[in-house]
Amino acid sequence: MSGVIDVVEVGECYVAKSANREWVEKSRHGAVITSLLRYALDSKTVDVALVVEAREGYRFDSVLSIVKESSEIKEPIGAFHCATPNIAKFIKNYLDGARDLKVAVVVKPCDARAIIELAKRNQINLENVLMIGVNCTGTFSPTAFEKILREEFGVDPSSVVYEDIEGDSLIIELENGEQRELNLRELEERGLGRRENCRRCDVKIPRMADLAVGKWGVENDKASLIEVCTSKGAKLLEEAVRANAIVIEKPSEEALRIRDEKVEEAVASARYWQEKALSELSRLSPKERLAHWFRYLDKCVKCFGCRDACPICYCVECYLEPTRGLVPPGEIPPSKLFPLVRLAHVADSCVNCGQCEDVCMADIPLSKLTFILNKQLQEVFHYVPGVSVEEMPPLTVVTDEELLVDLTTALFEKR
Amino acid sequence: MSSEQDFKPLVVAFCCNWCSYAGADLAGTSRIQYPPNVRIIRVMCSGRVDPQFILRAFEKGADGVLVAGCHPGDCHYLKGNLYARRRVILLKRLLETIGIEPERLRLEWISASEGGKLAEVIHSFVKELEKLGPNPLKEVVK
Ligand code: SF4
Ligand code: SF4
Ligand code: SF4
Repeated sequence: MSGVIDVVEVGECYVAKSANREWVEKSRHGAVITSLLRYALDSKTVDVALVVEAREGYRFDSVLSIVKESSEIKEPIGAFHCATPNIAKFIKNYLDGARDLKVAVVVKPCDARAIIELAKRNQINLENVLMIGVNCTGTFSPTAFEKILREEFGVDPSSVVYEDIEGDSLIIELENGEQRELNLRELEERGLGRRENCRRCDVKIPRMADLAVGKWGVENDKASLIEVCTSKGAKLLEEAVRANAIVIEKPSEEALRIRDEKVEEAVASARYWQEKALSELSRLSPKERLAHWFRYLDKCVKCFGCRDACPICYCVECYLEPTRGLVPPGEIPPSKLFPLVRLAHVADSCVNCGQCEDVCMADIPLSKLTFILNKQLQEVFHYVPGVSVEEMPPLTVVTDEELLVDLTTALFEKR
Repeated sequence: MSSEQDFKPLVVAFCCNWCSYAGADLAGTSRIQYPPNVRIIRVMCSGRVDPQFILRAFEKGADGVLVAGCHPGDCHYLKGNLYARRRVILLKRLLETIGIEPERLRLEWISASEGGKLAEVIHSFVKELEKLGPNPLKEVVK
């Protein structure tokens, strides 16, 4: 690379590659994340790294593993489109919220947002979490993806070595180097495709993480574009560069322009799905809405899966537990309140991660329902969940200005 | 409930101890008439009313739910009523999203001296609920 530099500033973008040439060759996008993680461990910037790995080499199933030594990361990690581990909850539940442990973790935008929401609630110590964000255009449930591979592409999943989303195309690459492509929008209109929350997600670059890494703009250069979002991120990158783990240079105007275009395209697609969810509902009369949702809600078997998975549900003594006197024990199907109370408790802060829907054994479109409510609440409270750790959830704060307003509706409500 | 005329809406009213419940008390001692369709539940503060209280009232058959607290600035706990207001905003949207008319949920500020206002609020609420008809949730949860 020409124009190599070693000073890193917050808010700037850099084209980056691993300094390990062998890895760069093996990788698609410069093995940047792999090298950053290894550097963070070697330099003792963090105690452990959380890494998503293919389960026993099968890339359509994944596990989250805790890595203590950089030597455990043997080759470029690569991207997975079927990996949706519940990273925020993992840190909270199994790493004691990073209270006494410094953790580096690779996050999608929704993971980063969930971590921030938990940090606001004092459940994760953000100081100890180094978030290396990856740009994201969506993920698939493993079973849905296998179905697409078998039935739509007509290939054996184990012969697929790579998959990617480019605009409206879903691209796969086979062992023999052959590439195949299908129209993703068309698949999704038929009910196949990405997880539904991902279709609606309009946060493509995780600027709430410390670093945001992506391929847009430098797709064909075996490199990544890194946006530096915090001083913590700047420090890591600068040190990694000075320690000869990463090589960076200034991006071309062209690269940045391409990146912006790709983001715009992905956001436009998200808007399409958002609009679809909202308009489908607005066409229904109140009676029809009730029938529509209760057709789903009626299937709830009170497995507590959604509550356990949702990063916003962190209460030690959840109101849905029988001890709280609201939902009686041993009663199946449960009171209709079960999903609705949760909805009321989390809707203002929902980060659209889809974890609730992933685990729901009754296939209730939980994230869609929460999304629809959250969207309306954003208009009222102007609160975007999981963006800034300083900004508290709108139901937990009131302003002095509100003391002076006597009308019930004047302050927030349009009608 | 054989016909619409016979429909007597049931209102559950959460009244805060310091203002609205005292207001209701005043309405009683001043012998101000208000419809008997209301069940008043005293809470220490309107801010104590968790969303689930309201949802539970609807689930158990209330046609309307009233949350009544002190006027802004008068809350015994300074800002509890303001939290209640934000919560009611959320709940109105929630109700509308799932298909229950948001008008079935009302938030009102009623001070200890406003016995008359309490009666008026209940009058107008009951009237509105008569127009709306029975809570549609009753159909789906039975
Ligand atoms: S409600 Fe569902 S989509 Fe929203 S934050 Fe919780 S788990 Fe994620
Ligand atoms: S359902 Fe409500 S009470 Fe239970 S964990 Fe979630 S937010 Fe807390
Ligand atoms: S995950 Fe689904 S079935 Fe289980 S409690 Fe939640 S809504 Fe009910």
